[in-house]
Amino acid sequence: MMTRDKIQTILKKSVSFSEGDQTEAMLYGGKSYLTGFANNHIHRNVGENNYNLSLRVAFGKKIGSASVNDFSDEAIKNTVKRAVEIAKLQEENPSFVSFAKPEEAPEKDFFVEKTAEVTPDMRAEYVKKILDKSKEKGLNANGTFVIDLMQIGVLNSLGISRFCSLTVASLKSVILGDTSSGYSIETSTNVDDISVNSVIEESIGIAEMGKNPIAVEPGKYEVILSPYAFAEFISSLSYLALNARAVEEGTSFLAGNFGKKILGDNITIYDDGLSPETIPMPFDFEGVSKKKVVFFENGVAKDVVYDTLTAYKNGKESTGHSLPQPSSFSPYPMNIIMKGGDLSKDEIISHVEHGLYVHRFWYTNPMDPRRAVITGMTRDGLFLVENGKITKPVKNMRFTESIITALNNCIELSKEKRVMYDSSSITVPYVRIKDFTFTSITEF
Amino acid sequence: MQRIIEEALMVAKKFGVSYADVRVIDRTEEEISTKNGSVDGIKSSSSKGFGIRVIADGAWGFSSSFVLTDEEISRVAEEAVDIAKASAKTKIEDVTLSKIEIYQDRVEEQVKIDPFSVPITKKISILLDADKLMNLQGIILRRGGMYFSKEWKTFASSEGAYLELERVISNAGISAIATDGKDVQTRSYPSSFGGDYQRKGFEFIEEVKLLENAWRIANEAIQLLSAKPCPSGKMDIILESSQLALQIHESCGHPTELDRVLGEEASFAGTSFLTPDKLGKFKYGSDIVNIVADATAPFAIGGFAYDDEGIKAKKIYLVKNGEFVGYLNSRETSKKLRLEPMGAMRAESWNRAPIIRMTSINLEPGDKAFEELVSGIDNGVLMATNKSWSIDQKRLNFQFGTEIGWEIRNGKLQDMVKNPTYSGITYEFWRNCDGIGNKDYYHIWGLPNCGKGEPMQVMQVSHGASYGRFRNVQVGVLR
Ligand SMILES: [Zn+2]
Repeated sequence: MMTRDKIQTILKKSVSFSEGDQTEAMLYGGKSYLTGFANNHIHRNVGENNYNLSLRVAFGKKIGSASVNDFSDEAIKNTVKRAVEIAKLQEENPSFVSFAKPEEAPEKDFFVEKTAEVTPDMRAEYVKKILDKSKEKGLNANGTFVIDLMQIGVLNSLGISRFCSLTVASLKSVILGDTSSGYSIETSTNVDDISVNSVIEESIGIAEMGKNPIAVEPGKYEVILSPYAFAEFISSLSYLALNARAVEEGTSFLAGNFGKKILGDNITIYDDGLSPETIPMPFDFEGVSKKKVVFFENGVAKDVVYDTLTAYKNGKESTGHSLPQPSSFSPYPMNIIMKGGDLSKDEIISHVEHGLYVHRFWYTNPMDPRRAVITGMTRDGLFLVENGKITKPVKNMRFTESIITALNNCIELSKEKRVMYDSSSITVPYVRIKDFTFTSITEF
Repeated sequence: MQRIIEEALMVAKKFGVSYADVRVIDRTEEEISTKNGSVDGIKSSSSKGFGIRVIADGAWGFSSSFVLTDEEISRVAEEAVDIAKASAKTKIEDVTLSKIEIYQDRVEEQVKIDPFSVPITKKISILLDADKLMNLQGIILRRGGMYFSKEWKTFASSEGAYLELERVISNAGISAIATDGKDVQTRSYPSSFGGDYQRKGFEFIEEVKLLENAWRIANEAIQLLSAKPCPSGKMDIILESSQLALQIHESCGHPTELDRVLGEEASFAGTSFLTPDKLGKFKYGSDIVNIVADATAPFAIGGFAYDDEGIKAKKIYLVKNGEFVGYLNSRETSKKLRLEPMGAMRAESWNRAPIIRMTSINLEPGDKAFEELVSGIDNGVLMATNKSWSIDQKRLNFQFGTEIGWEIRNGKLQDMVKNPTYSGITYEFWRNCDGIGNKDYYHIWGLPNCGKGEPMQVMQVSHGASYGRFRNVQVGVLR
């Protein structure tokens, strides 16, 4: 890993080499390791050491940007020069006012030494436990064990200077049987929080329960979505609706609905980068502290996330949700959390007379952004629920459903939650949704 | 460059590897986007680094770094070996590779105008001119974009391969979003997701003809607002070539990747219905369906001179006269099934190990004029430009939506329809293909965003297609 001093020296140099009215330097990277397994053995095992320096230079309302992963003085100078040239050749961006301004912000760090100390041999040991159990049961284990060690520094000519390091460990198991599959994943900043036994139990449990599925007719079903499945809905929501860009571009169904009650009382969804329920991040890629942003409070549409550009445009403050700029996906919520209920998952299942338990969705894509209609397939565990009990495994089906309708039809939420992480994190409970639409069936 | 490579291979050998290869990549990219009459972002980026892939104790290891110093090269080579030895602790059998011909070569891209020699102002002005033409009443969002990249890659292996390869990509595309306050409709040109991509220089930008089509698509987006909804039910459809390209991608490209077939992508991308017992024995489509994997296709972004295992670009059939006959493979997977290695191993960049990827997966053109395809339909829809896609993890059950459609009644094109969607089961759909447009409509579309692998690798692939006619398809799910 680079030292903090080295990172700050590179950032300072970058800003000092620039003749722009304003200059911003962001350095992001670290080491990343992934041990992949399939067919009960490690088949892929990779490491990476990579950092990237992104520069933005502003002359008035003209902005240029350039990035590089060579940090020699000469390379930095050339990159600054490119950003300056681009800025000068630009047309004015009428919405631009300023890069981020400094603010009072306590320093926070999420680097866990235990996670950073994991070696290739230790990763193989974790994985071997899954492989051994899978072989013992006559099943086929697949999955990944990922260790990410990240650092981010942001410095700009207005006085912003921030640094944070972060570790992430994530263990995933996908167990295949002849006619079934099961899934489990756990993610934490601290590798010791990951229970390989619970990952084994859940993924193997679902795969064993799923043997010899029956086909059911597509149509409307009451469903219990596991956090894995439900996170797909929230993830689609985050780019279709929960950001200022989507509101501005007219694709967000929140546009024109702020302050109105558009969802049920039980729906409270927010973004909080510092919550203990998320993989944390104290500031965004412009160096702005993460503010807590409430999207829905008891069903009332409240707010969306902003970066500096969309904030100035709308007379707001940045909420600390910029992606590395320039980006046509920014701003973006990175730490979504949904408020749970007070029932356990098992209690929720016990309330369902006739319905389906969905362990996971796959390949969800929007079909109609404005109505937030998405489609996707079930995967790695679909079961019939009868008289309050999971009774039979079911062949996979395609759903086509509006996220708004699904949230409106959500009648119960569990107290248990899971954190799902894939660059951004989503923390959601099990949910019970009525009248959920499955549109077709597949062969397995 | 040679120094880095020799050093890496030497260190790896010292630690007792049975195979090693090194890739060093230096890539420069430029991305320009415009939105509603102004520049939205311009980004120029460069990245270089190296990756070392080894087999030690009969198992794979890979490591990579952006620091090109002797010290770091030794560290990374040693780390790759350590990682391989950790993999070996769970091995079931030793990794073995198919024998291949070894090449030393240097290949430059055939580019007329170096895209990095063209001033940014010229690129911006083309996009803003197109933007102006799309500025019609009712259009709320106009977007334009160009992307250029140029890289040099050096590949060397412990078997003596040494390849220096240049790659240049150019891209342009525009889109318009219309709204009437209730509905939102999008049109893109020349295709969705950023437009078209080719392995050409700036000369490609003129060929794309943005200005000639900008007004038309903006106007179509507005017309879609008041168009009637696409009908639903079982009917015949014609797919325009960019939508057919995506259909080929999802329903033939992915399921013929041999690593998926053998379960190596089961934890993320999924597996495949085209299992080895079906090879040479499965009716994938109707007799007129011929699909090739052709890495030699000129200018195609799925093409290259050599793949990332040093295999010279090849063209093979995946589907011939409707029969499933071939896989996309690697040295390791081809050896497992005793097949000829065909060269489909590709890595996104220096920091990724290669995996099996599509090359240029092309549906060979047929003999039909567009009018003939239309005249053979009593009741159906012509669908164009992808809007949404989804397919199950074995690549059987798919559902696609397109930006625009036109009803076909009694052999004639009729009214425009909005929100067209169609769905089906892959082999049933291709068995119902009864007409393919001729080569006049054939185009190889560049698709820059195929995601696969863990860690994720985004790959540039391409698909040649003309029009295709499919009988008795389920149309419409959106009410
Ligand atoms: Zn793909």
